[in-house]
Amino acid sequence: MKNPTSRQPPRRRPWRALFRFRAEARPDIELTVAVAAFVSVLVIWTLVTETGIIAPLFLPSPLAVVEALWRLFAVGGFINDIGISIYRVWAAFVIAAVMAIPLGILMSSYRIVGAVTEPIIDFIRYLPVPALVPLTLIWLGIGELSKITLLWMGTFFQLILLIADDARRVPHEYIETGRTLGARDSQLMRDILLSAMLPSMVDNLRITLGWCWTYLIIAEIVAANSGIGYVIWAAKRYVKTPEVFAGILAIGVIGLATDQAIRWLHRRMFPYLG
Amino acid sequence: MIAEKVFLEISHVSKTFWSGAGATDVIDDVSLTVDEGDFVVFLGPSGCGKTTLMRMVGGLDEPSAGEIVLEGERVTGPSRKKGMVFQSYSSFPWLTVFRNIRFGLKYRDDIDAREKDEIARHYLDLVGLTSFADFYINRISGGMRQRVAIARTLAANPDILLMDEPFGALDAQTRERLQVQLLDIRRVERKTVIFVTHDVDEAVFLADRIIVFSARPARVIRDIPVAEYLPGEKTLEARDSKAFFDLRKMLLAILRDQTERGETMVEGE
Repeated sequence: MKNPTSRQPPRRRPWRALFRFRAEARPDIELTVAVAAFVSVLVIWTLVTETGIIAPLFLPSPLAVVEALWRLFAVGGFINDIGISIYRVWAAFVIAAVMAIPLGILMSSYRIVGAVTEPIIDFIRYLPVPALVPLTLIWLGIGELSKITLLWMGTFFQLILLIADDARRVPHEYIETGRTLGARDSQLMRDILLSAMLPSMVDNLRITLGWCWTYLIIAEIVAANSGIGYVIWAAKRYVKTPEVFAGILAIGVIGLATDQAIRWLHRRMFPYLG
Repeated sequence: MIAEKVFLEISHVSKTFWSGAGATDVIDDVSLTVDEGDFVVFLGPSGCGKTTLMRMVGGLDEPSAGEIVLEGERVTGPSRKKGMVFQSYSSFPWLTVFRNIRFGLKYRDDIDAREKDEIARHYLDLVGLTSFADFYINRISGGMRQRVAIARTLAANPDILLMDEPFGALDAQTRERLQVQLLDIRRVERKTVIFVTHDVDEAVFLADRIIVFSARPARVIRDIPVAEYLPGEKTLEARDSKAFFDLRKMLLAILRDQTERGETMVEGE
C-alpha cells in the first residue's frame, strides 16, 4: 500500500462485496468482471467452434460472423437494410409516442377519458402482436404501412398505459400547489404534470423502443423484401448461419447504442436527479 | 349582511366523505370567523379534520354543508388569493430554488418578467436562501425546502396563507428555527395565516389565536386568544415562561382527552 496511514478502509478481497446481498456498488470491480465475462463468452465461443466441437452450420466462429458482416456490408447492401429497419422502428415509435403521451395524460387526468378508453386499451394490450400480422396483411397489404401499423399496435397500447401511470404517480400536492398559484387545467398539465413525469416517461419510452425492435423482426420475417429481419430470414433459407448471426448482432448493437444514447440524454436532461 | 366586513367567515360547515364502506363525518357544523392579519392555529388530535377545514378555506375541498366566505366572496375553488404550503412535496424537484420561488408568479399577467425576477429575488432573500438560488431541491435540506415553499407562496401575494403542518416532517431543531423565521417574516408581511398542527408547543409559540378541535368529526371546542395569555414579543425565551407553560399544560390536557375519545373510533384521515 502506498500510504499506510491513509484513512482508506483496508482493501481485503474487495470482490467479496459483489457476493453480499445489496452491498455497496464497486464500479471499478464490476466493470472488470463485466469485461471478463464478455471476453470469456468470446473465448469459449471461439474454442468450441475452432476445435469443431460444434459444427459451423449450427454455430459459426466469431471470425466467420465478422466475415459475414463484412460481406453483407460490401456486397449485400446491408446498410440499406439497416436504414429501412431503423426507419420503420422510429416511424412507428414516434407516431405511437406522439399519440400516447397526450392521451395517457388525459386518461389519468380526466375520469371520463380513463373510463372510456381503459377497458378497450387493456383488452387490446393483451393481444399477442404476432397474431395481428394476418390482419395487418389483409387490411394494408405488404407495404410499409402494414409493418409500421404492426409496430404501432405493439407499442402504442402498452405505452399509453405506462404514460398514464407516470402521470398518476405525480404527487397531488404539485397539482394543488399549481392551482393555488392560479394555474388553469392546461397550464397544470403543461407546466407541472408533464415536467414532473418527464424523467420516468423518458425511461418508459426507452423501454418501449426496445420492444419495437422485437415486433420489427416479426414484421420483416413474415412479409418484407428489405430490412434486417428480411436479411436474417433470407440467410436462413440458404443455411448461411454466419449471416444469421451477423443480422442478430447488428440488431443487438443498434439496440445497445440507442439505449445508451437515451440514457446519456436522460442524464443531461434531468441533472436534478443525480 | 350589515355591520363591519368580516375577513373570513366559516358558517355551519360540515364535511362528509363517502367511500365504498359508507359515510365518514369529518367536520360537524363548524362556524368561526378570522380577522384580517391574525395568525390562527387550528389545533386538534391527528386525523380530526382540521386539515380538511383548512383545505376547504383554500378551495381544495368542498363543504358538504355550509359556506365559507373570504373577503365578501364565497369560496368555490382554489385561487391565487389563497396561498397554500403543504407538509411534503411542496417544491418542484425539476426547478432550482430561484425558479421554484419565481413559479409563484408564473400565472400573474399584471406584471412583466423583469418585475417577476425582482419579486422572486426579494423573497429568496427574505427566507435567507440567496446563496442557494441555483441549487436543485434535492440538494438542499428539508427545512430549506419548506422555506422555498413559503417564499413561493408569499411571492404570489395571497390574501391568506394556509399552512398544513408545514414543519411536521422536520427535526426539532430545524422546526424551532423555522418557527422563529416564520414569525420574523410575518412581522414584515402582515398576512393572515391559518396554520394547522397537532403540536401544542408550535401552536402556542406561533398563534395569536388557537382554535382547538375535537376528535373526529371536528367541532370547535375551545377558542383561545393567545395574545391575552401571553402578552409581549414572541421570542424563544418566552417559551420558558410560566404563562407559556400553563397554556401548554391546559392544551395538552384537552388534546389528551380528545385523543382518547378519538381512539375509540376508526383511525385514518
